[in-house]
Amino acid sequence: MSDLNEAEIKVFIDAVTNYFNQLTQEPANVRGAFLDDHGGGVPVFDYSGQIAVSGQFRGTITVSAPRAMIRHLLLALNESDQSDANLRDTVGELANTLAGNARKHFGGEMEISVPRTAAGAIGSAGSRKRPYVIMVSWKTYSASLVVDIERLE
Amino acid sequence: MKLLIVDDSNVIRQRIARLASDARLPNVEIVGQARNGAEALNLFVRHRPDVVTMDLTMPELGGVECTEQIAAIDDNVNILVVSALSDKSTAITALKKGARGFLYKPFTDDQLVQALLEMLPP
Repeated sequence: MSDLNEAEIKVFIDAVTNYFNQLTQEPANVRGAFLDDHGGGVPVFDYSGQIAVSGQFRGTITVSAPRAMIRHLLLALNESDQSDANLRDTVGELANTLAGNARKHFGGEMEISVPRTAAGAIGSAGSRKRPYVIMVSWKTYSASLVVDIERLE
Repeated sequence: MKLLIVDDSNVIRQRIARLASDARLPNVEIVGQARNGAEALNLFVRHRPDVVTMDLTMPELGGVECTEQIAAIDDNVNILVVSALSDKSTAITALKKGARGFLYKPFTDDQLVQALLEMLPP
């Protein structure tokens, strides 16, 4: 088993950048990834969406975002239904989009699941002791993207 | 033009439905919205849409398999894959199974309208 390298983590940073540019025309500030050395230090917000990864990789990709930020995203999509179900759907679709876009780099060897969503934290099936955390600022909000993946050898 | 929308995300289905009323498109009748490939197959047989927007990663029956099964029923169907899976091999596989176009998520409003216009029969 081996960790993702710097270029591979950048694939996810680029995917987040592209998501906000495309959907909102208002760029997000995507900060470089850091390793969660101490465990439990990953920021959790109101809603989380998670994609499980399999194939030649194992782990999870998780997005966590505050309610107000997801509501703003729905407005950017001209969606007036801001129900709890749609807020969860949106954070799940965000995780799905970032994981799916990453396949441009990783190819079909990275299989991705349908999204799993939760209010608050979501359990991780990842195996890394120190997942990569990418913090995203958009408008006045902060969200987290946690890449907890390793390559099987 | 009869349109079937297939995606496990309610927000994406509603967005495509709203954009289907764009003035640049001909009169579009949305004949159904499906949350997975199994629902899509049932709706396809019942309504025989001209165009299908197809997600790929879905529960129960995924989009690649669903595309193959719909194309086996009607090889003239216009299937536009709308997916976040942006690797070349996935696009090629979907096209081989019967899809006619591919649009990557996240997409802009204009990109979706243009992609639907390209799906229209000549």
